[in-house]
Amino acid sequence: MALPLPPGLTHAEVAFLAEMELVTVVPRQRLESINLLGGKTPPLRPPHRADLPLWFALLLKKQRRANIIPPPWLHPSSLAEIIHHETKVAPESFSDPPPAPSRADPANPGLIARRPAARPQQQLSPPFIPSCTAASPAGYLPYHWQELAEALLAHAGDDVAAAFGGGLAASGEVRGLLRDLVEVRAAKMRSSTADPDGFGGGLMSLRGVGAMELAENRGFVLGVVDGVRKIGASVEAARREEEERGEEEMGSDEEMGF
Amino acid sequence: MSYYDIDSILTDAEKIPCTFQLDIPDLGYLDNTPTQPLKAGTKVNLPLWLAEMLAIANASDTEGKPFVTFDLPPALGNDVVQALKADPRAVPLRDQSAHFYGLATQMMELSEEQELAAILRKTFVIRASEVALYARKVGGVGHKGKGGADEGSNLGVGGAGEDFLRALDEWERSLFRKAHDGTKSGKEWMEGIKKH
Repeated sequence: MALPLPPGLTHAEVAFLAEMELVTVVPRQRLESINLLGGKTPPLRPPHRADLPLWFALLLKKQRRANIIPPPWLHPSSLAEIIHHETKVAPESFSDPPPAPSRADPANPGLIARRPAARPQQQLSPPFIPSCTAASPAGYLPYHWQELAEALLAHAGDDVAAAFGGGLAASGEVRGLLRDLVEVRAAKMRSSTADPDGFGGGLMSLRGVGAMELAENRGFVLGVVDGVRKIGASVEAARREEEERGEEEMGSDEEMGF
Repeated sequence: MSYYDIDSILTDAEKIPCTFQLDIPDLGYLDNTPTQPLKAGTKVNLPLWLAEMLAIANASDTEGKPFVTFDLPPALGNDVVQALKADPRAVPLRDQSAHFYGLATQMMELSEEQELAAILRKTFVIRASEVALYARKVGGVGHKGKGGADEGSNLGVGGAGEDFLRALDEWERSLFRKAHDGTKSGKEWMEGIKKH
């Protein structure tokens, strides 16, 4: 009560973090490499594509110095495929996070892991592998999908429309599919409350859930889990006592055996 | 439950039916007979904190009877539990008690009711998903017009779910608020993104 902010990241903070995601741009002007805290930006030479952080790409876009190429998973067919998967194929669970990048990735020919692990024995899992963030292939949602999609549609709607062939209709289609996807996944989050295998049982897999969805549902989910815990507390305590008693008896039996 | 938790304090003030097991002098006014001692076997409604103290006071002593024995309060009575078994969504919990779940968990600590815990858990999670549905709808996408004044209101309730939302107990109300705050800040962010 002392802190006005609930635990966890707020929407604004999540959106801020999402601005570090890399997007591909086609520059219109030359720009030498800039030495930033996070590392050097690649030098921009007009016809060649380059990967920039989202905030930088949006800045250049606003100044008409670059066009943003929307990521492959934002394509209407990719989104429709994900929605189909979420509603028809696996209506109970969230769609899988992107798989680890491989050299033979058909969605990204020639693309290998962007950031090879600093320590080879270090095992990364979603959402921390590169393909979960910037280099997500089509058909999978990266961790920051909602923020990224909204930012791109809001500030680079014309690029999205142009890349997916067609005028305003294309970006409208993407927008509509995104709304559908958000609603489908929100409904899943809700219905899993009542499911004993969901977090109604005090346990739930959040594999494949995006950062923004986590921010939105954190308070509610924690409230439900806490309520279930409180209701089950007395039964749990009784069970634990029983177990302890059982163990003690076992222990005494063994001692007698010696 | 923290010491200053107002809901936990109010839960402790809920009345539960108790039966005195001993004659107690000078307590007759509890039963509207100020001049007589309180007879054993009298039924009196006592607040939970007092009933709890009296019921466990002599429990450790095998000889001594507890001062009082208590029954489940009407909010957790058989008819309510049967109704919850049938359809958790149709029972107006707030009419039973404003602190229904708080009361129930306290009672379960005093008397071991395995079945009650299972029914309550089912009730809670089913109603919670319903709460989330309304929290997302209320003041949300496509439900309310572009009205300016009450756009930011926290409990701008209207339409079909009104009866259900009015019958929420305090735990569920706080759940509703949390879910609604999440949806609302999501909406605010969505609107704000176009301005920058």
